[in-house]
Amino acid sequence: MAARGSAKRGAGAGGARGSEPQEEPPPPLQAVLVADSFNRRFFPISKDRPRALLPMANVAMIDYTLEFLTATGVEETFVFCCWKSAEIKEHLQRSKWCRHTSPNTVRFVTSDLYRSLGDVLRDVDAKSLVRSDFILVTGDVVSNLNVSRALEEHKLRRKMEKNVSVMTMIFKESSPGHHARCKEDDIVIAMDSATNRVLHYQRTQGLKRFRFPMSLFQNSIENVEVRHDLLDCHISICSPQVSSAHQRILNSIGVASLILGNQIHMHVTTEEYGAHICNLLMYEAVCSDIIRRWVYPLTPEMNFTDDKNQSYTHSKHNIYRGVDVSLGHGSMLKENVLIGQGTVIGSNCSIMNSVIGQNCRIGNEVMLDGAFLWDGVHIADNVQIQHSVICDEVEVKEKVKLKPHCVLSSQVVVGPDITLSEGTVISLHPPDEEEEDDDQFSDDSGVNKEESKVKLKGTSISGSMLLGRPAMLSEEESESDSDLSMGSEEPDSRAASPQLDDIKVFQNEVLGTLQRGEEENISCDNLVLEINSLKYAYNISLSEMMQVLSKVILEFPLQQLDANLDSQNYFSALLPLLKNWTPLFKNYIKRSSDHLNALFAIEEFFLEHDSLCTSIAKVLMTFYQLEILEEDVILNWFSLRDTSDKGKQLRKNQRLQKFIQWLEEAEEESSDGDQD
Amino acid sequence: MEFQAVVMAAGGGSRMTDLTSSIPKPLLPVGNRPLLWYPLNLLERAGFEEVIVITRKEIQKMLNLDTKMKLDFVYISDNVDMGTADSLRHIHQKIKTDVLVLSCDLITDVDLYKVVDLFRTHDATLSMLMKKAHEPTEVAPGQKGKKKPVEQRDFIGVDDTGKRLLFMANEADLDEELVIKRSILQKHPRMHIRTGLMDAHLYCLKKYVVDFLVENRTITSLRSELIPHLVRKQFSVPTSLQQGVDNKDEGRKKKEQASLDIYSFIKEDNSLLKPAPDNSCWNDHRGDMNETLHEGKVRCYVHIMKEGLCCRVNTLALYIEANRQVPKLLLNLGLEEPLVHGTAQITDRGMVGSDSIIGSSTQIGEKTSIKHSIIGSACTIKDKVKITNCIIMNSVTIEEGCCLQGSVICNNAVIEKGADIKDCLIGSDQRLETKAKHVNEVIVGTEQLMEI
Repeated sequence: MAARGSAKRGAGAGGARGSEPQEEPPPPLQAVLVADSFNRRFFPISKDRPRALLPMANVAMIDYTLEFLTATGVEETFVFCCWKSAEIKEHLQRSKWCRHTSPNTVRFVTSDLYRSLGDVLRDVDAKSLVRSDFILVTGDVVSNLNVSRALEEHKLRRKMEKNVSVMTMIFKESSPGHHARCKEDDIVIAMDSATNRVLHYQRTQGLKRFRFPMSLFQNSIENVEVRHDLLDCHISICSPQVSSAHQRILNSIGVASLILGNQIHMHVTTEEYGAHICNLLMYEAVCSDIIRRWVYPLTPEMNFTDDKNQSYTHSKHNIYRGVDVSLGHGSMLKENVLIGQGTVIGSNCSIMNSVIGQNCRIGNEVMLDGAFLWDGVHIADNVQIQHSVICDEVEVKEKVKLKPHCVLSSQVVVGPDITLSEGTVISLHPPDEEEEDDDQFSDDSGVNKEESKVKLKGTSISGSMLLGRPAMLSEEESESDSDLSMGSEEPDSRAASPQLDDIKVFQNEVLGTLQRGEEENISCDNLVLEINSLKYAYNISLSEMMQVLSKVILEFPLQQLDANLDSQNYFSALLPLLKNWTPLFKNYIKRSSDHLNALFAIEEFFLEHDSLCTSIAKVLMTFYQLEILEEDVILNWFSLRDTSDKGKQLRKNQRLQKFIQWLEEAEEESSDGDQD
Repeated sequence: MEFQAVVMAAGGGSRMTDLTSSIPKPLLPVGNRPLLWYPLNLLERAGFEEVIVITRKEIQKMLNLDTKMKLDFVYISDNVDMGTADSLRHIHQKIKTDVLVLSCDLITDVDLYKVVDLFRTHDATLSMLMKKAHEPTEVAPGQKGKKKPVEQRDFIGVDDTGKRLLFMANEADLDEELVIKRSILQKHPRMHIRTGLMDAHLYCLKKYVVDFLVENRTITSLRSELIPHLVRKQFSVPTSLQQGVDNKDEGRKKKEQASLDIYSFIKEDNSLLKPAPDNSCWNDHRGDMNETLHEGKVRCYVHIMKEGLCCRVNTLALYIEANRQVPKLLLNLGLEEPLVHGTAQITDRGMVGSDSIIGSSTQIGEKTSIKHSIIGSACTIKDKVKITNCIIMNSVTIEEGCCLQGSVICNNAVIEKGADIKDCLIGSDQRLETKAKHVNEVIVGTEQLMEI
C-alpha cells in the first residue's frame, strides 16, 4: 500500500511539473477541507460525534478525505472546523497526518462563527491562505480520484481564457438508479459539451419536470447537453478569486456566474470513485462500496491510516477480520463483512453485508444483514438487525428485532424482547427545541434525558432522518403522461425537511448577496440574476421567494443598528435600502398573490419585532409610494379576518389605521375621478 | 413493397409570394428543372418505382417530367386549404404499407437509406431527416438592409448517439423556461439539446400512424402537430395501462378516448417476425438486460446530416441559395444532360463560367459574360451583357450592354438596352426601360413596387 501510494503521489506531482517545463516550479498544491456540513442530516448521531469523524468501515470519514488529498499530490491542507472542532483536532493530531513524515501538512482553522461554506471561503480570502489554484472538499468525501488531469485542464483553461474560469467541479458518471445516487443530492446539469462549461446546475429534489431558463440557449453555444447521469463528488478545483468575490456561485451556478464574467467548468470521471456522504443513505451505500473494494486502494486491509489497531486480513467473499476476533461455533460470515479488532461473536450467528467495529460483543444466534455497528456495541442473543446503524456503546438486549432503517445513537440501551418498527431513531439527546422541522418527535415517548446508562424500554422516536432507500427507488417506475400526484408517492417526511433547511440556507445566501450588493454597489439587474440562480439552485418557489426577500430586506437594517433598536432609526436606515432595491421587488412581485405574500412577510416581521411596530405604517407607505405594493392589496390584507390575536393587535396600531384610512379615501377619490 | 412514397406538392409557397404568384411552387425552375423533379429524382435514385404525388390539377397539366417511375397523381381542389396531415388523410385508402412522406421543396443529396435504415433497425414509429441550417450567405432581393425577422427556433433533444429523438419544442410554445420531463432523463440521462437544425420534412412513418391520423381529425399538420405528438408519446404510458381500479362507467368512457390514443393503433407483428428481436443478440441500448428495443412502443429517430446538400426551397433567399448549389448536385448525379444544353447558341464559349447552366434554344451574343448563373430555355441575350449570380427563367430577352447582378428574372421579362440591375426580383412579363437602373427592388405585377 505504502509503495503504491507514494508512486501515485510521485506521478501526480511529476505530471503537474511536466506540463510547464520552462517556468518555475508551480507552488505547492493546497487544499481547503471543510470539516463541517452546516446541516443536520446526521442528527442525532452528529450530536455525539462530528460528521467528519463518523466511522466508515471503522475509519473516520475525514481520514478518507485526507488520504484522497494526499494521494492526489496536495502538500498543504487547511482544515476548517466548527462543530466539535476540538474533537476533530484531537483526532487528527493523533493520526499520521500530523507526523513529521507526512507529505501533506495539515493546518487547522477553527471558528464557531461559520454558518455556511460561504463564510469559510470569505475567511480563506480574509486570511489569504491560498496562493494558487486549490482543491476544495468537505470532510465527508470518499474518493480515489487522481485530480491531476482535471487540474491540468483547469490550469490550461485559466491560461487560455485569462482567468474567466474560476472553478472546475468534479463529477462521477453514474446512471440513474445507481445505488450511490441519493435523491436528496440528485442533480441535473446543463453543460456546453464543446468546452465542458457548466451552464446550469439544479438539484432535482423529486421534481417531475426540470426547468431550464431560456437564457441558456440564447448564446452561441451550439450543443447544450443536459446530463442526469452525474454524481457530484463535492470536490472542486478553485481559483483564488473564487473566495474573494463570488463565493456564492458554489451553491448557485448558473446565470450569475456567467454575467459576472466567470465560468465554471466540469470534469467527469468514469473509472474512478468519488462520493460525498450527505446522509445515512449515502453512508450505507459508500460503506458497502468500500467493503466491496470499489474505492481501491482505499480498502480496509490496506490500513492507509497506519493505525496499529486497524490491521485486517482479507479473505474471499470480501471478509475482513481484525486482530483477536473470535468467532463462535457455527457462526457464518457470508459475504462483505468487516470485523474490527477485539470483537467476540457467539455461536450460530449469520452475518452478511455488515461492518462491526472494535471490541463489540455479539451473542448467539444473532442475525445481522446490512448492519453498521460502531465500537463497543453489545448485542445479546437472538437479535435480528437489518440495514441499521448502531452507534458506539449501544446495548441491544435479547430477542430485539430491528426492522430496516433504524438508528440507535450512542449509549442507547434497547430491549429485551421488542421489535423496532421500520425507521425508528433512538437517541439520548432530546430533540432540540429550536428545531421546528423535527416536530414529529413526540414528547410522551419517554426519552430519557439523563446521560447515565439507563434502561430504555421501547423508546421510539420516529425521526426525519432515516434510511429509506427502497421507497425512493421504486417510485420512478410508474411514470405517466397524466402525472400522478406527488404526494401519494412520498409517504414519509423526508422530502419536507431538507426543503425547510434549504429555505433557511437560501435566506442566508440572499442576505449575503444583498450585503455584497450594498458594499460593492452592484446593480439591481445583476442582483436579480444572482438571486434567480440561487432560486434555481435551491428550488425555491415564487411565493417563498417573495417572503424570503421581504424578510431579508426588512431585517437588513437590524444588523447595522445592532443594539439601539428604535423605530425612528430603523426606518431611516431602511428607507434608502428600499429605494435602492425597488427594481428587485418589482421583478418578483407580479401577481396579486405575490403582493399578499410580501405583506404577510412584512406582518410577520413586525410581529416578531414589537418595538418597531410603530413604523409599519411608514414602511407600508414607502412600499406604496415606490409602487411596489398596490393599494387594493394592502386594503385587502388589512381586512383579512382570520388573523391571529397578535395580528389584530397590529392592525389596531393608530398610524396604520390612519394610513389605511388615507388609502381608502384616496381610492374613493380616484374612482370618483374615473367616473367623471 | 416496404414503403409507399408520398410527395406533398400542393402547398402554395406562402413564404415567397413574389415568386409563386406567377409560377406555382412545384414548378419553380431550379437549375432549369421544376422543383418537384428533385424529390422525385431522390426517390428514383433510391429505387422507388411508384410515387403518389398530391398536387393541384393545374400543376399537373403544366408539369413535364422525365421519370421512369409510375406517378400516381392525387388532386386537391384549389379552394380547400388542406394541411399536410389532411392531405395524408385524404389518400389514406391508397396507403397499404409504411410511408415515406416528403415535401416537394426538398433538394438533397442525402443517402435515403440512412433515414430508412434507422427506421428499420429500431422498428421505429418515425424517422426523419434534419440538417444543420446554414446562414444564407446573401440576402434576398428587396431585403438588403432590412432586419431579418427573428425566427422561432426549434429545440431538438437527441440522445448520446445523436439518433434517438427525445424532445422537440418550438420557442413559440415556451415561456421563459425549457421544461424536460424527468422520466425522459431517467431513461436517457444524457440529452443533447440542439438548436439551429432544419427539418427537411422527410418522414418515414408506420402505417398505423396513418390509421391514427384518420381517426384524429383535429391534426392538420405533420410538422407542427403530428411529429411533436409522436415525440411526446414516446415516454408516456398507454391509457389502456393506466386504467386500473376505475369503476365501470369511467372505464367505458376511457375506452372511447383510448381509441384516439396512438398506442391502440400499434399492431402486433405477424407471428413469424415477432420473436425475431428477442432472439437476436443485438440491442439498441446497453447497461441493462431489457428488451432488444428500448422500452416504449413509440420510438422516434432522426438522421442529422453532417455534410452534403440539403435545403428546402420555401423562401426567396433559399430559392437563390438552392440555385447556387444545384449545378454541383447535378454534376454529382452524373446526368447525361450537360450543363449547357446542346441546342444553345453561344458565340463566346469562353465567357460562360463552368458553374453556369444554360437551357435549350437560348441565344447568347458576343462578348457576353455569364458567371455563377442559371439561364432558362428560349432566352435571347444580346451582346456585351454581363450576368453574375443571376437566375434567369425562360424566354427572357436581355438587350445589349445590360449589367445584371444577383437578380432573379422571371419568365418572358424584357430588359432593354443598357439597364443596370442589382439585387432585384423582376416578375414575369415585366419590361424594364432603356438604361433603367434598379438596386435592391422587387418589381412584380402591375408596376407595383414593394417598399424597400
